[in-house]
Amino acid sequence: MADVGRHPNIELLAYSEVENVAGYVGNFTVTVRKKARYVDVKECTACGDCIDVCPVTAPDEFEEGLATRKAIYQPFPQAVPSAFVLNIDECLGNNPIACGKCLEVCDKDCIDYDDKDEHVDIDVGTVIVTTGMEVYDPTELDEFGYTRYENVITSMEFERLINSGGPTEGHLIRLTDHKQPKTVAFIQCVGSRSENKGNPYCSNICCMNTVKDCLLIKDHYPEIDIKVFYIDIRAFGKGFEDLFQRSKEKGAIYIRGIPGEIEEDPETRNLKLYVENTTAGGTDCHEVDMVVLSVGVHARADSDAIQKLLTLQRSQDGFFLEAHPKLKPVDAATQGVFFAGCAESPKDIKDSVTQAGAAAARANRLMMQGKVSVEAITSTIIPDLCKACGICVKVCPYNAISCDTKAKTPAVVVEAACSGCGACSAECPFGAITMKHFTDRQIEAQIDAMLEYNSQDKVLAFACNWCSYSGGDLAGTNRFQYPPNTRLIRTMCSGRVDKKFVLRAFARGAPIVLLSGCHFADCHYINAVHWTQRRVEKLWDELEKKGIRPERLQLEWISAAEGQKFATVMRAVEDLRQKVTPEEIEHTKKALAGVLEPPKPKAAAKKATEEEAAAQAAA
Amino acid sequence: MAEEAKFKCLRCMSEFCLPYTPGVTEERTCPNCMSNSVRRLKEKKE
Ligand code: SF4
Ligand code: SF4
Ligand SMILES: [Zn+2]
Repeated sequence: MADVGRHPNIELLAYSEVENVAGYVGNFTVTVRKKARYVDVKECTACGDCIDVCPVTAPDEFEEGLATRKAIYQPFPQAVPSAFVLNIDECLGNNPIACGKCLEVCDKDCIDYDDKDEHVDIDVGTVIVTTGMEVYDPTELDEFGYTRYENVITSMEFERLINSGGPTEGHLIRLTDHKQPKTVAFIQCVGSRSENKGNPYCSNICCMNTVKDCLLIKDHYPEIDIKVFYIDIRAFGKGFEDLFQRSKEKGAIYIRGIPGEIEEDPETRNLKLYVENTTAGGTDCHEVDMVVLSVGVHARADSDAIQKLLTLQRSQDGFFLEAHPKLKPVDAATQGVFFAGCAESPKDIKDSVTQAGAAAARANRLMMQGKVSVEAITSTIIPDLCKACGICVKVCPYNAISCDTKAKTPAVVVEAACSGCGACSAECPFGAITMKHFTDRQIEAQIDAMLEYNSQDKVLAFACNWCSYSGGDLAGTNRFQYPPNTRLIRTMCSGRVDKKFVLRAFARGAPIVLLSGCHFADCHYINAVHWTQRRVEKLWDELEKKGIRPERLQLEWISAAEGQKFATVMRAVEDLRQKVTPEEIEHTKKALAGVLEPPKPKAAAKKATEEEAAAQAAA
Repeated sequence: MAEEAKFKCLRCMSEFCLPYTPGVTEERTCPNCMSNSVRRLKEKKE
């Protein structure tokens, strides 16, 4: 931390909040609110004179409320910058007549009660999100009696109690009688791996944290008995199994099973843990002096705000989602944004440091080049066709399009920010957006070719590159059988599948059309898949109005890992195809004949030239 | 509490109720055949 603070190339903005991020890779403008500290950071030497005179006390957040601090304080001993901060809501000096003691005592005149928040705009090329996580609050787990029984504490509180810099200077005591406990129980997976309360995932760090705590206790107090109640101990990192075995050798007893209930003895304030004996059956009661709940972690409560600022994706567990779990594990889907640490998933210090190094290297690599190469699949606006309606601006998940709807100037795509999902192209009501390598003409040519002969026997399926198409691949490599009359058209995202492609397929005699894409949580283009769903819902209505059975348009979300589902869906869709009669197909062809008519000459010519230009540029 | 609405599966044609918030797009699955071709049945105006 101190090194970071001193580094000539690092500007540290502590006690600040990012309020806005505009721009795109290489050209971000970040608006930061530097919160008023009421203390001059440059002058303050953290001498502590003000602490001695400040009459206000408040729970110390860093000490988990186990100690108090003053209204003017240093957040924690190693805080950088090494300067004080004044909590103006607690301070009486807001009205200097009421107090003003710190102002009087500070030799360096650091205190300024009139300090104001300051906004600064910073231009940066890349952004690394390292916003961390939050620790689970076990109060809702009534069976453990946290907050009801004082001798039930969390692993975070235990950490402060055993820390030599903590409120007890590292002396392990019970909170009720301030005596050293004779027996300590740890309960694992509190708030983790639970479908009912807390979180369903493993928090990754709690097992090893408990193993470390056991070793700490045994090093300092070999006479203390330790019992660890667990589901299973996950000691999978380098050297972790060794540590686990060492803690057992030193006397920590690991008992399989999580207590269903804790009761306090009102006299001794000891705690009785009732736990199923998974070996012999029945319920055992273990009496201990102190219980440590090994609490899990979860995504920060303000993750929504960060997600919106940087157009990020989140996985179902609430943590930020990487662009690709194996190939881009530290990149966000938004170009130029990276993750490190627990913002992306719960992880320990070593993994956080590794990921931070990787994120820094990835960011550096981009910035050293001074330019970015974008994949040749971005969107292009055809200015002559654009009516500046602004729909594409709302559609784009990456905020890559801008359009002045008042001035009626054509929309503009920032190619560096465009990821090429194609949702804008499919949603533009005027056909004013074309996608390089996935132009309307290219896709329409595929539809026409696939349905040229025996269209009544084919199942035409649109599959997105990342999930459904890969699901198809997996079905193939696993030899899952699916009907050979399936014809797949790959698009980068299901959001690219324009309504007119579906109608064209029906007009060309397709009995069934399947549109498949990623599950919502896996969408590789943040939320472009939502546009697919909305479009299909509208299409069902439209087909019905035209007397076409809506079920002839099927919609499926298939992930890259769901080869089995891909095959099952294809078989089910083939069953549906067999129920479509030749008369029905003929009726549909007639009802949709207008779809195949060439567009108005001017627009068509414009679009064709632009698409050719785009194709050439891409090549 | 989210409202419920009536949905129809366009694969197996079964009808069922699912939570529904107007204006919110959600991934839906037919409880009968697991298809995602789930269409909301709009109430017909009298
Ligand atoms: S949706 Fe189409 S017409 Fe509307 S602003 Fe975008 S490109 Fe122009
Ligand atoms: S293709 Fe997708 S990412 Fe690119 S501008 Fe259009 S909506 Fe945005
Ligand atoms: Zn169904």
